[in-house]
Amino acid sequence: MSAILRLHDVCKSFGGNHVLTGLNFQVYAGEIVGLLGPNGCGKSTVLNAITGYCAIERGVIEIDGAAVNGLAAHRIAERGVRRTFQLPSMPARMTVMETVMAASVRAHGLMSTLAGWGATRRIERETRERAAHLLDELLLTKVADLPAASISGGQKKLLGIACALMGHPTLLLLDEPMAGVHPNLRAELVTTLKRINGQGVTLVIIEHDMHFIAETCSRCVVLDKGRTVADCLPAELESHESVVEAYLGRKSPLNHQAAGTPA
Amino acid sequence: MSSFVLHVATLGCIYALLALGLNFQAGFAGLLNFGFVVFAGIGAYASAILSSHGYPAPIGIAIGVVVAMAIGCAMAGLGRNLAADYWAIATLAVAELIRTVALNEDWLTGGAQGISGVRPLFPARAGAGGDLAFFALALAMTAGAYLLYARLSQGRFGRAIRLMREEPALATSFGYRLVPLKIKATMAGAAVASIGGSLLAHYMSFVGPDYMLASETFAVWTMVMIGGLGNSRGVVLGALLVEAIYSAVPFAKDYFDIGSDIAGAVRVGTIGCALLACLLLRPGGMIPERIRSPR
Amino acid sequence: MLQFLVDVLIRTSDIMLVAVGLSVVYSLVRFPNVAHVQYAMLGAFATLGLTRAGLPFALALAGSCAGIGLVAVVLNTLVFRRLLRSGSSIAMIGSLAISMILIAVVLGVAGSRPWRYAPTLSSPLQVGTTVISIDQLTSIACGVGCIGLLAVLLFRTNVGRSMRAMSSNPALAAATGVDGARVLNGITFLSGVLAALGGTMLGLTETVHVGLGSNLLLPVFAAAILGGLGNPLGAAAGALLISIAETLVTNVDFGWVVGGSDVYVPVTYVSAASFVILLVALLFKPYGIFDREVRRV
Repeated sequence: MSAILRLHDVCKSFGGNHVLTGLNFQVYAGEIVGLLGPNGCGKSTVLNAITGYCAIERGVIEIDGAAVNGLAAHRIAERGVRRTFQLPSMPARMTVMETVMAASVRAHGLMSTLAGWGATRRIERETRERAAHLLDELLLTKVADLPAASISGGQKKLLGIACALMGHPTLLLLDEPMAGVHPNLRAELVTTLKRINGQGVTLVIIEHDMHFIAETCSRCVVLDKGRTVADCLPAELESHESVVEAYLGRKSPLNHQAAGTPA
Repeated sequence: MSSFVLHVATLGCIYALLALGLNFQAGFAGLLNFGFVVFAGIGAYASAILSSHGYPAPIGIAIGVVVAMAIGCAMAGLGRNLAADYWAIATLAVAELIRTVALNEDWLTGGAQGISGVRPLFPARAGAGGDLAFFALALAMTAGAYLLYARLSQGRFGRAIRLMREEPALATSFGYRLVPLKIKATMAGAAVASIGGSLLAHYMSFVGPDYMLASETFAVWTMVMIGGLGNSRGVVLGALLVEAIYSAVPFAKDYFDIGSDIAGAVRVGTIGCALLACLLLRPGGMIPERIRSPR
Repeated sequence: MLQFLVDVLIRTSDIMLVAVGLSVVYSLVRFPNVAHVQYAMLGAFATLGLTRAGLPFALALAGSCAGIGLVAVVLNTLVFRRLLRSGSSIAMIGSLAISMILIAVVLGVAGSRPWRYAPTLSSPLQVGTTVISIDQLTSIACGVGCIGLLAVLLFRTNVGRSMRAMSSNPALAAATGVDGARVLNGITFLSGVLAALGGTMLGLTETVHVGLGSNLLLPVFAAAILGGLGNPLGAAAGALLISIAETLVTNVDFGWVVGGSDVYVPVTYVSAASFVILLVALLFKPYGIFDREVRRV
């Protein structure tokens, strides 16, 4: 099985702050991988680096075997990579439906827009239908005609996912998709993501919500201080020494329990 | 009186063309162009120069459009790395540069004197008939520009530039390349403005470097803001309103026998106050942008 | 050579004060205030009005500076702060509207003809082949003196330290006890004073006319951007660079380029020099030539 995403020895600093310090991990096609770690461990920076929103200083990021570090964000998106944002900012002067339609890759140029050929009208119709379908899947049909900035934070998260899916991605990176989303929707979201994965989309999900991770991910990569400290199944997370150390610190009672020494 | 009304209506249509072009660049694409009038100036000079060398009017108009789009392309290229307000200042600099060239290169542009005696578009009909025919043409052009931009602002291109306007990072994550979008939007606005400029040159039988003064761009901005940034109907209304005020002032000046400095002051002051009031009280303009999903 | 130096210094002092005023306030207001150059024009006319009312020049200048400083604060509080809530683009367009209103007021009151301050009958000084008038000397001395005072204010006083803190990080400064509103008003007042001073000096070396501000717009912005908006001493350096370029462009014989001699750039292109510099600066160094930080633009 070849790696659809591979990071090797990735380093990134902001001024004197070394955020990523030699990060390594792979994601294979068809997986759902969870990316975890305490605050400040570099999760969002990894996502930004992979998708071209920030440049790394050392190391290699490969997508489908080809190096992508240094490429502009839109070039990486052209390779079938889509992402969501942790704090999604949506346009105030476009409706939800328009925003999702804008996320489609089916291009028709300036001149054909002007001429309004039959083909253009057909593409528009198909784009609108697919957008409506995705909005329905993510329970946003009620707000489809509202300005995108006026919906709730959780709904904006879902809108971000709908937009990402419009692009028929092969690799989808989600930045804390559950944060701000109503717990009732969690089951729906898990089902939707699993269904997408079944259709062939590889998912990398940054999350804190452990239940969500346990239900969705086939594998977990844990980061601490800019490097990988664990790469295991969700079920193994609780007992993994490095993971507990990362989240709770060396002197944690849980750690002593696992090691068998008295507290 | 009726010829005065026709005059205001014709000028209103010409300025509506400029306002529609700026509205597309600034309202739909979010490009703050403070050197916009240079596109109209290029159209005006192209028409004047080429018609004085004997070429038929459509050639002059076409050349004007091509050159204006090239300048627009260069301006948008400047915006590659610049934030919106820095780019605004850059466009101001480009426009002033071109105006300085027009002021100096006598052999091409007639220098400060400009080019006069530009051939009228309808030489066969003299007098009122010609004026009416010209108005019909200007009106047709305005309607055409309106429909053009209505088409462009819907559809994928329209959604792309409107998304770029508000959320460029989001647009990039969908795979949009921002610089080509900016270039296309600028060129689309420049082309229509150039046609407006060509019409103005033929109508006034004159073109001079004062056509490209920064104050002219500011007048068009006022039309767009008062009318409603991002709404084509609004900016046409804004153009008519501002043009009416502009024309009424010299009229009142002659009627009431006011000094020309006072008249100039009232003109600029009224527009400035209207713009400020609009920004403070109704930033969306008289007819704000409509936000609705495609049917 | 000395004449060249004198020309450069005169031109520098023309734009320096206004550019520094723009730069000083930019980091707090965060939008390009195109009305700032009209404050200079207003200041020149205010000084004119006060001298005509019988005040000696120095007092008239002081009154004008105080008045324009006040105008700047009032406009900022009533208009620009409100518009900034809708974004810096709206604020910029608003400053455009204010510019138009200020021009209209002056045009209505004083007309479009150029004015001079009370005519000075002193003869110009002559050093060798270079000529310089008392007015020009006054302007240069005033400019240099003010920049020196400003440097002392910013770097040696508590007030100046608060101002610099607020420029670089308003939120943090507020958290450490710097009174945001007072410092903002103080800085705005200062920028108005500098603009009025610069405008009066320009009126002294040239004439006082309603287009004074508009003619300054691009050179002043070029100088301020070259020096880095928010870096007032950088703006002074930027003004120097612009005036060197402008003076060079029209005084250098470009005969060697076209294989002839006595080939000069026409004087009317002198303003183009600052426009080109501005464009080049925006293309390659939009944060100014003194910028040492690596930033994604």
